[in-house]
Amino acid sequence: MRTVKSQSQFTQKPSEQEDTQPGMLNRFRDYLIRKHIPERVRVAVIGRQVNDGLLFKALLVIILISIAVLYVKPLLYMMSTSVKTLPDLLDTSIQWIPRQFEWLNYGKAIDGLKYWRSLGITAFIALSAAVLQTIACGVTGYAFARLYIPGKKIWFAIVILTFLIPQQTLVIPLYVTYVKLGWLNTVLPFIVPAIVAQGIKGSLFIIIFRQFFSTLPKELEESARMDGAGAIRTFWKIMIPLSRPALLIVFLFSFVWHWNDYFEPALYLKGADFYPLSLSLQHLQSNLNYLSGSSSGLTNVVVDVNEPIKMAAAFLIILPPLVLYLFAQRYFVEGIERTGIVE
Amino acid sequence: MAKSQPGAVMSAREHNRNRGRQRGREALRGYLFLTPWLIGIGCFVCYPIFYSIYISFHKVSVAKDGSGLAYEWIGWGNYSYSFLKDNIFPIEMLSFLRELLFIVPITVIFSLLVAVMLNQKFRGRMFFRMIFFLPVIFATGEVLTELFSQGQGSIPFGEQYDIEGFIYGMFSPGIAGTILSVISRFIIILWSSGIQIIIFLAAFQTIPKSTFEAARIDGVTPWESFWKITFPVIVPFIVLNLIYTLVDQATSPFNPIIEHIMNNMSDVETGYGYASALGWIYCAVTIVPILVLARFTKQTNREKR
Repeated sequence: MRTVKSQSQFTQKPSEQEDTQPGMLNRFRDYLIRKHIPERVRVAVIGRQVNDGLLFKALLVIILISIAVLYVKPLLYMMSTSVKTLPDLLDTSIQWIPRQFEWLNYGKAIDGLKYWRSLGITAFIALSAAVLQTIACGVTGYAFARLYIPGKKIWFAIVILTFLIPQQTLVIPLYVTYVKLGWLNTVLPFIVPAIVAQGIKGSLFIIIFRQFFSTLPKELEESARMDGAGAIRTFWKIMIPLSRPALLIVFLFSFVWHWNDYFEPALYLKGADFYPLSLSLQHLQSNLNYLSGSSSGLTNVVVDVNEPIKMAAAFLIILPPLVLYLFAQRYFVEGIERTGIVE
Repeated sequence: MAKSQPGAVMSAREHNRNRGRQRGREALRGYLFLTPWLIGIGCFVCYPIFYSIYISFHKVSVAKDGSGLAYEWIGWGNYSYSFLKDNIFPIEMLSFLRELLFIVPITVIFSLLVAVMLNQKFRGRMFFRMIFFLPVIFATGEVLTELFSQGQGSIPFGEQYDIEGFIYGMFSPGIAGTILSVISRFIIILWSSGIQIIIFLAAFQTIPKSTFEAARIDGVTPWESFWKITFPVIVPFIVLNLIYTLVDQATSPFNPIIEHIMNNMSDVETGYGYASALGWIYCAVTIVPILVLARFTKQTNREKR
């Protein structure tokens, strides 16, 4: 009896729902019915709900594509300009695809950026800082999520406060201190804060790890303790392997932010004989002038750094993180959902 | 408990002592894990904070014998200078705040819209997610300023339809200037919404699917279920994103105030002392709205309980 009743309710439902759909769709449905389009097609096009018909999905994809184009356009502009010759650049009839591809721009950009050297330095700074920061923030986040710490609330309030204070406010005393310590023009100002869970957005990473670790079941640690594992061993053998998605995300963010960081290198590496990629765009012109001056001897031909070369250089700078992202994006996108970063 | 059983008094005390000892050991372990961070907070946050406050009340210059820095106490001098004599800082600050008023809501609303769309089921949504997270990769770098100087930050149809003239006709010059500067950076603003989209998407995952199914069986349309189920859940995340966007904008090295601070830092006339004072004013101004927002979340959370 009961099942029959509920079934009859079910058959009634769609007709009720039709009323709640927007008027335009309703009219379209009536039109389809009048034209004797089979129901299966009708459902496929309009859907039982507003958001599962083909029509809706097509609209969705169109909107997303148009936003995506806005998003990617500057990147495409960069890529297309980087292979343009100067006449092509000035020709207004050429928008995206140049008449001939000028790969020489990349050669000049590589020279001007001192690319390989800068790449090595940037990779070294970003990699080591990211690894150290990930570990340090992981340990701290775990402590905040799971361990008994008297006054934990106050400490965590300090974490949040350090997230809110603009790093730039603290930069002057740090600069003065680094001068005193003789750390200026070395990589130490990037590495040392990372070891102690500070550095670029360190507090954000601590918050992320704390959220992640507090979602794991408590029984894990309890059973580990029963088996006689100490805190460090529990962390190393149980928590670290489980937290791979969180580790990966924090590492990626940290790596990319260190890679792109401009503000701190500009301050701490002002007089260094090496500079990371993020600074090298500034040196492009002078480097190229120097190179051309030394090679052509008498005639001091100044290579004017034009748009295409600049864009080629810009593209070379973002290329490594871009490649990394293309490989890691699956973990990146999925991992964010799995880590429960927010809760 | 112990009163009813005389024999258990001792053991309870012992138990307490044991527990105390155990707690002590646990606390020690907790602080062991916290040690690196505590060192970091001491060296790279607390010390700079106090030092920075200290020099903001001084005029700092290079000592005459060249041995180091000389400090000269001038009280609130640096602070009053910034408002009374500096003819860049107050103006920049005001225009920055006005821009924030537009940028922050735009970013959050946009990221919410994109997140809702990306949360639908359709083919290729992984591809779109990839694109929308892409700016996270390079939206923070120097490359951005380069693109910005190419005019790649504005919406493409801005010039075609003479939006400038239109906006100047609609609003007073002050507001119109702000709106135009926001429009000229529109894409860059959208670009900085990658993390916010991620946060919203993750927030959607916290709602169990069965809730929507139940609602659907009861004949609730997706439109209604968004407002009645999804929206209440994500309200705290909207606030979180507002805070994040504020912090993100405030700490962005490309904002004019930071630039001004840095210029003053290397200026012999004003020096470190004045730059520190500016830093603190700036910090205070940006933290106030954040604290207001944080208070608001606390209140909504309490209401929920």
